[in-house]
Amino acid sequence: MSFEYVIKDSLGIHARPAGLVVAEAKKYQSAVTVEAKGKKADAKRIFAVMSLGVKCGDTVIVTCEGADAEAAYVGMKAVIESNL
Amino acid sequence: MDYRVSAQGVLDAIGGKENIVSAAHCATRLRLVIADNGKVNKEKLENVDGVKGVFEASGQLQVIFGTGTVNKVFEQFTELAGIEGGSKEDVKKAAASKQNIFLRLIKTLGDVFVPILPAIVASGLLMGLLEGLTKVIPGMAGSNWYTFFHLMSSAALTFLPILIAVSSARAFGGNMFLGAVVGMIMIHPDLVNAWSGDAVNTAPVLFSIGAYSVRLVGYQGHVIPVILSVWVMCFVEKKLHKVVPEILDLFVVPLASVLAAGAVALLVVGPIFGQLETWVLQGASWLISVPFGIGGFLVGAVYAPTVVAGVHHMYNIIEQGFLSNGGANIWMPIATAANVAQGAAALAVALKSKNKKVKAMAVPAALSAYMGITEPAIFGVNVRYRKPFIAGMIGGAVGGLYAALMQVGASAYGVTGLFGILITVPNSELGLGVWNIVNYIITILIASAAAFIVSFIWYKDEAACEKDKVYSPLRGKAMPLSEVKDETFAGGVLGRGFAVLPEVGKVVAPFNGKVTTLFETKHAIGLTNEAGVEVLIHVGLNTVALEGKYFTALVKEGDTVQKGQALLSFDLKAIAAEGYDVTTPVVVTNADDYAAVDCLSTGKVAFGDAVLAVREKEAEPAEATA
Repeated sequence: MSFEYVIKDSLGIHARPAGLVVAEAKKYQSAVTVEAKGKKADAKRIFAVMSLGVKCGDTVIVTCEGADAEAAYVGMKAVIESNL
Repeated sequence: MDYRVSAQGVLDAIGGKENIVSAAHCATRLRLVIADNGKVNKEKLENVDGVKGVFEASGQLQVIFGTGTVNKVFEQFTELAGIEGGSKEDVKKAAASKQNIFLRLIKTLGDVFVPILPAIVASGLLMGLLEGLTKVIPGMAGSNWYTFFHLMSSAALTFLPILIAVSSARAFGGNMFLGAVVGMIMIHPDLVNAWSGDAVNTAPVLFSIGAYSVRLVGYQGHVIPVILSVWVMCFVEKKLHKVVPEILDLFVVPLASVLAAGAVALLVVGPIFGQLETWVLQGASWLISVPFGIGGFLVGAVYAPTVVAGVHHMYNIIEQGFLSNGGANIWMPIATAANVAQGAAALAVALKSKNKKVKAMAVPAALSAYMGITEPAIFGVNVRYRKPFIAGMIGGAVGGLYAALMQVGASAYGVTGLFGILITVPNSELGLGVWNIVNYIITILIASAAAFIVSFIWYKDEAACEKDKVYSPLRGKAMPLSEVKDETFAGGVLGRGFAVLPEVGKVVAPFNGKVTTLFETKHAIGLTNEAGVEVLIHVGLNTVALEGKYFTALVKEGDTVQKGQALLSFDLKAIAAEGYDVTTPVVVTNADDYAAVDCLSTGKVAFGDAVLAVREKEAEPAEATA
């Protein structure tokens, strides 16, 4: 399951929101990935997420795959929409 | 074990490469992020050759292989799965490849020698003691009990090249049994023993072209040629594994790689070392005759390096020369100075080091050097830490100078160190008086004292860059993370650690590792160390809004850095003047991978102070002792 989101935070995905995204992703068993500008990152690894260098206006694709993918989808969507 | 087979086994057990999201490894484990855990057959995984345990933690499937093995399995694994490594790729290798050749060679020597030290330290001690006793107790050398003890004490040193070959094969990622074969070839009884003095020069010639001639001489007592040959073997083996069809693999690869190594050993390395030894012999013979103690000084200094290079086998000829000309053996006391100095340097390491493993090894190594068996002290301790080795050379030089000035002589050869006292007793034929033995003892004392003092002052436990520690990247006042005025950091969302209120605008590397993430705004930097510990250093709070102003990056993403290397500089005052809180959180972002992250210091911290320590989740399976 995946969704797209356009980053609205003027600073992009910097450390603080990245931490929140990772913390949320870690709650689920499913593999969660964040994709931006053709690069894919494991959403459970903060360095991977930060390395994407996502900026304001960039589109990210969040994909959840696994047993609890639905819950992960909802959770990730909520955390990203409210922080980014 | 065959790394490729193990890697394939893991791949099969986790449901193939399609099921991998990402792969990485730390010092002991393969860390895999799996797409569908339902496809993982844990039981099958646990039965893969080399797997010491499997467990899941923080969304990763962790497969324990152990140090030295996991990286090789990982190498094969990424190749088989057609993926690139995650962020924990072998940083160590990258770090090593950046060092100069000399340091890499020393590191290789250490990697090869450390695992075999248990075998040679005890034998060295026993052998030295036994050889010494034969000089004290007449008739002992002929007894069957002597043979009995001699077997046990000398086996490891007599066949040292085999141990070195096995260990080298392991270090270079080749097959250890093939490595053993290469070692055996090099000291095969059909070859003339390298220790047999002049007989080496009359050894059968395989063929010769001009000055280049290949003689059938063995590699007893050699270290570097063995490592070189095994390296060639491993190189050929690894290349061939890739191209030879599996059905022919078992037939072609071992044959070709062992032949290649044997050929290199006998056709290339042999003649080079043979020539070197001849030159060393000529040089040493001339050097020892230089008057005013200068010769003794120089021989005492360079003796140990020639042992390391393995070009010291011919010195017996010099000693024989003195004796057969009716004079005393003035070489032996200088060699003793060099040997005991290495022992004393190792002893200083034993006393000064806080590392129990180093202590446990250095004490017996030092003792055996005093009995004349220096390999454990030289290779096991001194060369690895470099400075003690140089301290040993200094001690050897000073002792050699004294011995040469006092013209200390011996009435025989083949024994050095403490038991050498027995062959420096007064001997009217050679004109050795009572003072000879006294001066011999003084030589030992001077050499020991000089080496010990220099080594003791100079040696420091390797600015202990332990893999489970994070060293302060900043200078300033340390505070708990909970006091940081930012709930994300204070709440531990980004990881566990501490924060520093910096006093200077500089961030240095908190360990040896790699720059994993460097923000475009240069206000934060993420690094990963050799063992996979990830640290984020975030200079100031909300400083992302400065968009790079006042920050200068001194490294770039992907750079390999050494602990203490400057990473970022920033204008502390300007940032504070713009109203930002400059408190800098330093957090282990993958704290979930560990049982705990402990804070080691409070109050003021300086660059390089140990500030955080991670604790592994469960007891690691026993590793090869070091």
